[in-house]
Amino acid sequence: MRVVADPVVVSRFAAGDEDAVRALYREYGRLVFAVAYKVLGDRGLAEEATQQAFLQAWRASASFEPSKEFGPWLATIARRAAIDIHRREARHAHSALDDADPAASGLISLPPSMDQVYDAWQVRQALNELSPDEADLVKLQHMEGLTHSQIADRLNIPVGTVKSRSFRAHRRLAGLLGHLRGDDHALPQPPIGTGGQR
Amino acid sequence: MTDADRIAYLAGDQAAVDPADAAELDDVRALLADPAMWEQPDPHLEDTVVVTIAGAARSAGPVAGRKRTRRPILLWAAGAAAAAVIAIAVAIGIGSGNGTPATTFSVALGGTSLAPAASGQATLTQTNAGWKITLHVSGLPRLDNGRFYEAWLKNPADVLVPVGTFNQSGDITLWAGVPPTEFPTLTVTRQRANGNQASSGQRVLVGLAHRTS
Repeated sequence: MRVVADPVVVSRFAAGDEDAVRALYREYGRLVFAVAYKVLGDRGLAEEATQQAFLQAWRASASFEPSKEFGPWLATIARRAAIDIHRREARHAHSALDDADPAASGLISLPPSMDQVYDAWQVRQALNELSPDEADLVKLQHMEGLTHSQIADRLNIPVGTVKSRSFRAHRRLAGLLGHLRGDDHALPQPPIGTGGQR
Repeated sequence: MTDADRIAYLAGDQAAVDPADAAELDDVRALLADPAMWEQPDPHLEDTVVVTIAGAARSAGPVAGRKRTRRPILLWAAGAAAAAVIAIAVAIGIGSGNGTPATTFSVALGGTSLAPAASGQATLTQTNAGWKITLHVSGLPRLDNGRFYEAWLKNPADVLVPVGTFNQSGDITLWAGVPPTEFPTLTVTRQRANGNQASSGQRVLVGLAHRTS
């Protein structure tokens, strides 16, 4: 699943063009946010990291090589921005335990590796390719752990429709995420450590 | 493992794949169950990103241009020199009280996910004593009994400088000892009077300063 950003848009992004910033945010914003949330486990902090990631990408954009994929480069920057905030919050955590959110496990555990971040990026990108109905179903099934019958009740649709929609969604995901299981048509690995060094 | 087996296992059929072969798909299934894959950012985040980069572009000049030719460097340097002259002139003007308009910045504040109904508008005015911040906030519920709001200015390195505290929405006056040119992000957090002077990180309002005069 290769998504190559329009080099003209990337060039305009480097110049600070507002429309280009919006275009790249709409293409990659949710992916950056997913990476940040994966690292931080907190929505507000993930939003801050997303903002920082795009700002850092803009600052580093002069050294971005147009022949490379923009997504993996941005994913690397996003992870670094999120880890910086993770470290900042960890420094404050010892003095604010009474306010700590137990669900914010990202603040008290090691951040995910670049491979894990890139897997998350790819899965979120694959989910973007599903129809809204398919995405809703996958969310109910995997994140909420509902059975087909429970999903049918929740969505008020026949179980047979749930099953067929589920099959279509997972067939599409399996195809889009083939590279994560080592198929021959695998994506090149992300340029680990290159983005943040620019 | 066939494609049909993979699809079935991904869809939740545990018996479709030998456990020894399943590990390669378990990571994907774990991610599909991860809230990080499903959580949505605030719709206003796009505007915040655009505003942040636009502000940085205005204050720093285009990064791309600096690398490619010498001419933009010279122009940038000339611009910086001109800005310095203007800044000195403004400072002299303020110091002598000759009626020169004060340097001002404005900030449009948006509510975060902790306070989506909140918003605000701030004007930062340079004075001899420091930067006077006139803030109007709406949509924030009253905090008291040891809880309060605190406003901060933040620089790109995430250094926070406190600029004042308050209890609820309304017209508020704050003072800052650092300039918005160097600390352009204005944030408001929820705090507790528990002896910890650091930011709680519970941001309710965020905005970026833009020069208006």
